[in-house]
Amino acid sequence: MSADDLIETFRAQLRDDPDVASAVAAIRALLGFLKQDRGETIQGLRSSLLDAIDTLSRVDSSVAVSSGGELFLRFISLTSLEYSDYSKCKEIMIERGEIFLRKVSLSRNKIAKLCHPFIRDGARILTHAYSRVVLRVLEAAVEAKKRFSVYVTESQPDQAGQKMAKALRKLNIPVTVILDAAVGYIMEKVDLVLVGAEGVVESGGIINKIGTNQIAVCAKAQNKPFYVVAESFKFVRLFPLNQQDVPDKFKYKADTLKTSQNLTEEHPWIDYTSPSLITLLFTDLGVLTPSAVSDELIKLYL
Amino acid sequence: MPGAAERSSELSEQIEAFVARLRGGGERPRSEDTARQTLSLLRKIIGHGRWSRAGELMDLIRTEGRRMTAAQPSETTVGNMVRRVLKVIREEYGRLHGRSEESDQQESLHKLLTSGGLSEDFSTPYPPLRANVIEAINELLIELEGTTDNIAMQALEHIHSNEVIMTIGYSRTVEAFLKEAARKRKFQVIVAECAPFCQGHEMAVRLSKENIETTVMSDAAIFAVMSRVNKVIIGTKTILANGALIAVSGTHTLALAAKHHSTPLIVCAPMFKLSPQFPNEEDSFHKFVSPQEVLPFTEGEILAKINVHCPVFDYVPPELITLFISNIGGNAPSYIYRLMSELYHPDDYEL
Repeated sequence: MSADDLIETFRAQLRDDPDVASAVAAIRALLGFLKQDRGETIQGLRSSLLDAIDTLSRVDSSVAVSSGGELFLRFISLTSLEYSDYSKCKEIMIERGEIFLRKVSLSRNKIAKLCHPFIRDGARILTHAYSRVVLRVLEAAVEAKKRFSVYVTESQPDQAGQKMAKALRKLNIPVTVILDAAVGYIMEKVDLVLVGAEGVVESGGIINKIGTNQIAVCAKAQNKPFYVVAESFKFVRLFPLNQQDVPDKFKYKADTLKTSQNLTEEHPWIDYTSPSLITLLFTDLGVLTPSAVSDELIKLYL
Repeated sequence: MPGAAERSSELSEQIEAFVARLRGGGERPRSEDTARQTLSLLRKIIGHGRWSRAGELMDLIRTEGRRMTAAQPSETTVGNMVRRVLKVIREEYGRLHGRSEESDQQESLHKLLTSGGLSEDFSTPYPPLRANVIEAINELLIELEGTTDNIAMQALEHIHSNEVIMTIGYSRTVEAFLKEAARKRKFQVIVAECAPFCQGHEMAVRLSKENIETTVMSDAAIFAVMSRVNKVIIGTKTILANGALIAVSGTHTLALAAKHHSTPLIVCAPMFKLSPQFPNEEDSFHKFVSPQEVLPFTEGEILAKINVHCPVFDYVPPELITLFISNIGGNAPSYIYRLMSELYHPDDYEL
């Protein structure tokens, strides 16, 4: 499968199903690549996969695609350890890949089921930008006949908050769009903060749309619970200690990285929120405290 | 067969009596007694109940467990013991089924990637399962006997000479802890009386019988005295999954005062008090009793114009706690999730 075909498959996934997470689309594209691979050895497969992941990250350099790619590589290594015969190994990989994708499609529902009991009747929720997982959780809360209202930050520079507000209005949830700068002002009225995540790092912190860190700091100052909802394939092997430690390739879009002369003049798209500001993480592996996240990652990668 | 029918009706009578006792309230039962009674009852159900497969047994235990926990939701030890038994059944079944010892039962990323298909369905019958499970429950009962002693044994590491220790209310675990330390060290104890039931008085009497210098004071004076206290040692009713506590009313105040003065807060609680629930909307741990103690019925005129509440429990968030001392050692609140994954299976968190 050529690089262009791969990119086209990836883009087609995102086009046909706007609800799919970009990590899942990447894994699906990589699975398709695996099926069509003509190599005869594990080493060959690994190196062509590394190239494929590199190609994908040149299209979409977000954390999610990177974590999806790493997870897929890990998946290949784990399976290849169990079976030494290559063709049998490949069959098992494809079978397991399909099962994994099936399980992962259920993950949002699992998370919604875990998270909606934490939304009380009459709650006022603050959320940030556009997150499909948060949308699913709020949908589940509405199905459970809870009444609540939502504040969404408009989330510049792409106004993703407006998209979220539109989706929430379709569910008949009373929603107010607020300025990013108004978070400190609105925090006293809010009962809880609920955000999604693009990536969950080893320390239990999250990488999410720019502005999340500010909201977390305000929430901590006013003693409001800060909940994060994320699927488990977003767990990433990064351990940033501050904002600078987050790699540039995640902060800026792929096009900007290629064309820009001086990155310090560009606006970053994501920021890092430290685990001390997060109350609980809701994932398809269960409700986790930030300290439990590293345990999960260790179980997988070591 | 008359024998079996007799036994099963006797069993359901015992379950009914247990449920009625839980619901009745009355005298505050010891958590350890409740745990022991629950385990004995579950052991009888397993021994005499009609089941042939592990799956049926688990459903049976779950149904009975749900009934027992619904009777008194604030008595979380009942639910915890049911979950321990369910985990025991899974383990014994796994051992008989031939699964490897170290297979991770929990959901994890690793499992997501490597699993080949459907999960366990517990439908293969194994005759030795009944005996194995009952033996495992007997081991649990023995473990239960020793919890207070195990906790008390760690006392000398934490209490030093000439220290001032503060506690609140009456906790039998803390009493044993302090008595054990008093055998080798000399220290003072300040007991907050814990209104309105004033159980702190009983604690003070018992401690002073062991020649420990004890002072009783009112709850309002906690903050004032805290600057002179070296450590705060308390017991609790329940430990929640995020490391928070459900303890007697007044504990949150004590914890906040300790945090303000940077005094370490140590919680002595055995592992059967660890519950996999999170504090959320359910809030079923709250228990309100007659407000007689707060404002007696003799104040008839005022009572007509106001609302009086007497909550029994308090919620203490995990940030205020320094250390948990349990029968398996000392742990930080952030480690509670790990202990939980060793005691219970995630599918059993919701009974």
